[in-house]
Amino acid sequence: MKNEGSKIVKWLLIGISLLFAFLFLLLPLFTVISEALRNGWAAYKEAVTDEYTISAIWLTVEATVIAVLINTIFGLFAAWSVTKFYFRGKKLMTTMIDIPVTVSPIIAGLIFLLTFGRQSPIYPYLQAANIQIVFAVPGIVLATVFVTFPFISRELIPVLESQGTDEEEAAALMGASGLTIFRRVTFPHIKWAFLYGIVLCAARAMGEFGAVSVLSGHLRGKTNTLPLHVEILFNEFRYVPAFAVSSILVMMAVVILIIRSVVEYRGKGAE
Amino acid sequence: MYVELKNINKSFGDFKASDNISFGIEKGKLIGLLGPSGSGKTTILRMIAGLETPDSGEIIIDGKVINNIPASKREIGFVFQNYALFRYMTVYENIAFGLRVRKNDKKSIDKRVKELINLVGLEGMEKRYPSQLSGGQKQRVAFARALAPNPQLLLLDEPFAAIDAKVRQELRSWLKEMILKLGVTSIFVTHDQDEAIEVADELIITNNGKIEQTGTPLEIYQNPETAFTASFFGQTSIIGDYTRFKTFSKVENASSAIVRPEFIKITKKGEVQKFRSSAVSGIVERTLFRGSNIELTVRVGDVLLTARRALDEPIISVGETVDVFIYRLFVTVGNKARIIENESLRENSIVI
Ligand SMILES: Nc1ncnc2c1ncn2[C@@H]1O[C@H](COP(=O)(O)OP(=O)(O)OP(=O)(O)O)[C@@H](O)[C@H]1O
Ligand SMILES: [Mg+2]
Repeated sequence: MKNEGSKIVKWLLIGISLLFAFLFLLLPLFTVISEALRNGWAAYKEAVTDEYTISAIWLTVEATVIAVLINTIFGLFAAWSVTKFYFRGKKLMTTMIDIPVTVSPIIAGLIFLLTFGRQSPIYPYLQAANIQIVFAVPGIVLATVFVTFPFISRELIPVLESQGTDEEEAAALMGASGLTIFRRVTFPHIKWAFLYGIVLCAARAMGEFGAVSVLSGHLRGKTNTLPLHVEILFNEFRYVPAFAVSSILVMMAVVILIIRSVVEYRGKGAE
Repeated sequence: MYVELKNINKSFGDFKASDNISFGIEKGKLIGLLGPSGSGKTTILRMIAGLETPDSGEIIIDGKVINNIPASKREIGFVFQNYALFRYMTVYENIAFGLRVRKNDKKSIDKRVKELINLVGLEGMEKRYPSQLSGGQKQRVAFARALAPNPQLLLLDEPFAAIDAKVRQELRSWLKEMILKLGVTSIFVTHDQDEAIEVADELIITNNGKIEQTGTPLEIYQNPETAFTASFFGQTSIIGDYTRFKTFSKVENASSAIVRPEFIKITKKGEVQKFRSSAVSGIVERTLFRGSNIELTVRVGDVLLTARRALDEPIISVGETVDVFIYRLFVTVGNKARIIENESLRENSIVI
């Protein structure tokens, strides 16, 4: 009797979850693809190979690569210092790392706008040094880095914490240098969490809209990333190209998802 | 002295983990660092290894002050309390690590690793990872890894703590043999008295960040200098007013007395007992079969004593009134301990 009941509950829960996933995740994806191909393959190809689209792809890739690089380095440093050393303000630092996920991206964008824009006291100096941040590529990169800042360190902190410092101490006692200790003792331990963090960071960087939107100025061919380009096309009622460009983002996301699954699978296997 | 600590102090915040520690160790000796949990044993070991810096005092190894030499240059072997094996390296790689760091050539590394694997009896396990080993096997790997670069000093932090009683016994004798064979000066930490007495050439007793006493196990066992060392070994009983037991001379300012089970003779009322006239009556509260003997808990007034009786002696049951005779006891005056013998033993020897 009890068994019967739990079986019903089981299938009910699975059914609801599947329905939800279908309605809210899969259906929109199908819609994107089918809308993109509504006017046929030629129209799709034209939209995708459009000059502005290509430059948006490149800008998105550029911002993503830089954000991943910077956050890899700083994420590693931050996670390392928080877990391996004791210092004053450590709690504060752990909290600070999380700021980007708690602050709305729009507000983050506005903060940068106010810090580097016309109203800012440092604006004249930037101007004199011929540095353009707001409504230019550096602003976009900056916003992307900010928004994706916690992803790598947050993956690393728990693994580094659970490992403790014993193995590193043992290695140091045998005369190993700091670099050797990192390469041979610490890195193998954090490798999968690290890769996973990079994947998440890349995924988030590619899709970033809010903060980037504030700082970009929407200059077509110059400061337009893929998500911004989609928005512009959509606002101009050019639905087919809008969906076509969206499908590029969808494909990039699918690639990331596949990499993510592989990393997760290999990481589990390694344990 | 090969290793010497001079007036070492170390605090963590307000907590004094090492309080004016001084001792010396001769070359080739196996030293046991014995004390209750939290008494600062690991802290001493970590300071010698260079993983912790003393606030003041000098650490001298082989005539050189090494306070400012980093851990990586001290060439000390260390076996951690929880082994700290490199979990992403095989047994072979774990042992080879210290040699690879030194950039020794491949052939000599291979030779040395094989030698050590033979020494610790782990042939055929070279390719295993630490997670695939038993506690005793991990311990052997940790030992081999620490020995691989030929350290002049080996430090072992509770090497047997995580191992069950049976294997522990075997490993103890094994370790002692190994260290004797290699002749490497070693310090090992333990909070197990039996282990310390059995394995060490000399003991250093720690308590509350201080050193209570140093000496051979026998010396310390027979002549404890402080109240702490007197009560630390065996199942001691504390007696507030020891003059209730007959024929002990009075010691001025005595705070209390400590007796070990082997200092007490329990006899049935009818049994032959040479010192009958100096015995007092007690009531047996508990008897416990201990395998090789029977442990008795006897009440004399408000004092509970733990004593033993051989298996071939007549059986004593709970509730029985027995004669209690104490041969000797440690009287504590302040922090100092002093042994006093029962007077009737002396009279007896005069008679003979
Ligand atoms: N890094 C540290 N920070 C703060 N306190 C510490 C630190 N290391 C040790 N202590 C304190 O110093 C005291 C002595 O510690 P230690 O590890 O030397 O004890 P121990 O004799 O090895 O004990 P055990 O037998 O339990 O291992 C303990 O009270 C401990 O809390
Ligand atoms: Mg300890």
